[in-house]
Amino acid sequence: MGRRRRGSGAAGVGALPEAIAALSRALPGGPSPETFRRAKFDRPEAVPALRRLLLGLLSSLPEDGAADPDGQARLLRSALCARGYPRGARLPESGAGGSRELLLALAWLLAREPLLERLLARARVQLGDEVTACQCELQARPCPPAHGVDTEGPVDIRFLQWLMGKLQIRWRTLASSQWEHCALLGQIHAYTQGCHSDRELGHLSVPETEALRDPEGGQQLLWRLQCENKRLEAALQWRRCELLFWQWMDSVLVTCPPEEASRPPTPPRLSGLLLSPVSRELELLSRELQTLQEGLREAAGPLRVAWEARAGARGPELEAWQQMVQMAVTRELVALKQTWEHGRAPPQPHGPCRLVQSQAAVPAGLGLQAAELMGVLRSQEACLEEALSQLQAQCQQELARLSGALPGLLWILPSHGRLAPTPSGTR
Amino acid sequence: MLPADSSRRLVAELRGALDACAERQRELERSLRVSRRLLRAWDPAETPAPEPSPGRASEDPAAGKPASPASPAHGGAAPPRTVRGPPPAPALPPRTPTPQELKELELLTQALEKAVRVRKDISKAGQRSKTASLKSGSQAAAPAPATAVPPGASGRAGSRAAETRPSRGGCRASGPARTMTPGPQATKTGPGLRDQHEPPSADPHSPEVFRLKEKGTLLQLPSAYRKAASLNTRLWTQLSSTSMGDARDAAAAAKNRFLQTLQAAPASSTLSVAEVEAEVARLRAACSLLRLRQDEVLAADPGDWKQEYRRLLTLDGLGAMATECLQRLQDLRTVVAEQQPEPWPEGRPPGTPLPCGPGTDPLWHPQRLLYSSTRELQALADLRLRVAMLKQQLHLQKVLMAELLPLVCRTEPPDLALCRAAHSLLCEGGQHFLCVLRDEAEPVD
Repeated sequence: MGRRRRGSGAAGVGALPEAIAALSRALPGGPSPETFRRAKFDRPEAVPALRRLLLGLLSSLPEDGAADPDGQARLLRSALCARGYPRGARLPESGAGGSRELLLALAWLLAREPLLERLLARARVQLGDEVTACQCELQARPCPPAHGVDTEGPVDIRFLQWLMGKLQIRWRTLASSQWEHCALLGQIHAYTQGCHSDRELGHLSVPETEALRDPEGGQQLLWRLQCENKRLEAALQWRRCELLFWQWMDSVLVTCPPEEASRPPTPPRLSGLLLSPVSRELELLSRELQTLQEGLREAAGPLRVAWEARAGARGPELEAWQQMVQMAVTRELVALKQTWEHGRAPPQPHGPCRLVQSQAAVPAGLGLQAAELMGVLRSQEACLEEALSQLQAQCQQELARLSGALPGLLWILPSHGRLAPTPSGTR
Repeated sequence: MLPADSSRRLVAELRGALDACAERQRELERSLRVSRRLLRAWDPAETPAPEPSPGRASEDPAAGKPASPASPAHGGAAPPRTVRGPPPAPALPPRTPTPQELKELELLTQALEKAVRVRKDISKAGQRSKTASLKSGSQAAAPAPATAVPPGASGRAGSRAAETRPSRGGCRASGPARTMTPGPQATKTGPGLRDQHEPPSADPHSPEVFRLKEKGTLLQLPSAYRKAASLNTRLWTQLSSTSMGDARDAAAAAKNRFLQTLQAAPASSTLSVAEVEAEVARLRAACSLLRLRQDEVLAADPGDWKQEYRRLLTLDGLGAMATECLQRLQDLRTVVAEQQPEPWPEGRPPGTPLPCGPGTDPLWHPQRLLYSSTRELQALADLRLRVAMLKQQLHLQKVLMAELLPLVCRTEPPDLALCRAAHSLLCEGGQHFLCVLRDEAEPVD
C-alpha cells in the first residue's frame, strides 16, 4: 500500500489512513480514501472522482454531467495552468488517465493556501443575520458580462445616459428596501429578546426564528449544521495528521516517471477573454498612479523650497538629525509597503459579522460596535467623495478647455456661472 | 453616435453595474419576504402544535403532572411554539411522519387547544384584572394543580428559569407511548371543564394565532439545535485559531518541501493569470494606500520646521514608491501585451476573487456586530450602501473619462450634443445639463 512509517512522533501505521479519511470527509463531495490510494498507482478508476472534485474546486461552472470527459480534462488543465500550476504539461489532455497527476494537482492546491478552511467558509451555514464589516468584495473589478451577450454596434450617447439614470433609480430602490429590511430586523430582534440560550447573543436571529416558525425548515437547518460540524471536525483532525499526508505525497511524487524530454512544458497562457479587461484595468491604474505621482511632486515642491531657504547653518548636529528623520520615514514607508505586498490584515475589521441588538453600553469587548464601523465608513465615504469630485473637476477643466476653443458659443452651466465666457465674434 | 468598440465597452460596464445592483435587490427582496412573514401572524397550519410540551412534562423530574397545565402556564393563550426537534433520532434528515404520528399529533393538538381555551376562561373568570397581559396572566392565574415548574415563559427571568429545567424544546420523547400518556388525560380534563365554561369562551380562534410581537419572548430553541450551534462556534474558533504548535510547524515544513519538489520543473518565464491578477490587486492596494497616506500628510496642519522637513521627506518617499509602482505596472503591461492569448474552452475563466486584498487570511471566525437601536442599524446600512455606490460611481467615472474624453476632444467638427452629454455624464454625474447657446454675430434689428 505504500505506507511507510516515518516515525516523526506521529502515531504509527494507522495514522495515514486516518489522515486520508479525514481529508476525504472534509472535502465537499470528497473522493473516498480508496480513490486516493488508487490514484497513487495511477489507476484509471480514480480519475472521474478526482476530476470532478478539482473542477468543483476551481471553476465556478455548474456541474455539467453531460460534458464529455475530454472537454472536462482540457478545462481542468487550462484552469490549473491559469493558477500557475507548474506541472501543467503533465496533466492529461484526454479524459482517460492521469489520476496520479490529478492527485498531485489536488495536493498542490491544498499546500498553497488554506483550501479546506476557505471551502468551509464559503459553504458556511449562516445562523445569524450577517453584515460584512468591510466592503472588500466590491473591490473586485466588475467583470464584463461573459461572451455572447451583445456584440452591439455603435450606440448613441443618450443610451448611456439612460443606463446611468436607470442605475441611479436602482440604487434608490435598493436604499429604500434596505431601510425597510433594517426596520424589520430591529423589530424581530427586539421581540425575541431573552430567548436565546447563548446569553451573549440575547435574541434570536431571522434564520433561527424562521426555523421555529417552520419546523421543516428548522430540521433542514439542523441537519445542515450537523453536516458542517462533521466536516469541521474532519478538517481539524486532518490538521493534526497533516504531516503524514505530506510525507505520503512525497512518496507519490517519487513514483512518477521521470520527466519526458519529448514533451516540452507548454507555458501557461493568458486567456484572451481576460486580456482585455486586465489591460484596461492596467491603463486606468497607470493613470491614477501618474496623477498621484504628479500630485506628490507638486505638494513636495513648496516644502522643499521652504527648507532650502531656511537651511542656514548646516552643522553636524543638523545632519545627524536629518539622517535620523530619514531613517524613521523610511521605516514607516517600508511598513506601508509591507501592507500591500504581503497583505497584512488591514487594521479595520473585516469579514461577515453577526448582528446583535444590545442596549448595553460597553458589552465587555464582545464584538464590534456599530458606531465604530460607522466612523470607518464615514471616513471612507469622505475619501471617495473627494476622489470623485477631483475627477469631476478634472473633466470640467478638460471640457472648459475644449469649449474655449470653440468660438461663438456660450456654455451655461447648470447652477454655477458660465463655463468660460468665450469672446464673442464681431457684433 | 459613439464608435463600436467604445460603445461595447461602455455598455458592458454599465450593464455590469446594473446587474450587480439587481443582484443585491434580489437578495434583499428574499430577506424581506422572510422577515415580513415572520412578523405576520404565523400560520398555524404550518406549525404543528408542539409535542415538546408533553415531552417536557415527561422529562420533568416531578413527572406525573398532567401536561396540559404545564403548557398553558408557559404559553398563556397559545401553546408555546418550540420546534419539534428531529423525531426520535436527532440526526435524521427530515422524513415524512407516519400516519400514526399524524393522528397522535392531531389528537394532541386538539387536547392542548381545548386546555388552553379552558385555562383562558378560568383565568378570565377568576382574575379579570390580572389577565391584562399574557405574561402576568399565565403566572398568576394558574388554578390548575400547582406545577413545580415555574411558569417561566414570560420575560427574561422566565425564559432563563425555563432553560434550567429539563424542558428541552427538542422532543426527546422516548416514544409515542409517552407522548400519548398525557393526551388522554388532557382530553379528559378538557371536555369536563369545557362543559362548565363553554359560555364564556369568547373567541376560540384568537388564542391560536401566534404573533411574534406579542409572544416572541416565549420562543425557545430546541436543545439539539442549541448543542449543534455551540459546537459549531467552538469548532470554528478552533479552526481559525492560528496557534502554531509543533505538529503544525512540522506539517508546514513538510508542505513547503513538497511544493518545492513539485516545482522543480523548469519555471516558465511567463506569468499565469492568477499571478497577473494578484499583481494587479497589489498595485491597486498600493495606489489607494499611497493616496491615503498622501492625504494624511497634506491634511496635517503645518508645524515647526522639523515637522515640515519630515513631511517633505515623507512626500518624497511616497513619490519614489509611486514611481516604482508605475514601473512595475509598465513591466506588467508589456508582459500582458506579449502573451499569446489562448481561446478559453467554455465559460468564464475561473478564479476565486480574493476577499480583502491579496494574501490576507480568508478564514472566517465568529464575530459580532453590536447595534443599539433600529435607527443605528439603518444608518449603518445606509452608509455601507453609500460607500458601495460611491465606489461604483468612481469606477464608472474613470471608465467614462477614458472613453469619452478622447472622443469629445477629437471629433471635428465638434459634436455639440456629444459635448453636452459628456459634460453631464462626467461632471455632473448625469444629474444636470448645461446649455449651449450659439452667440449670433448679427445684431438683431
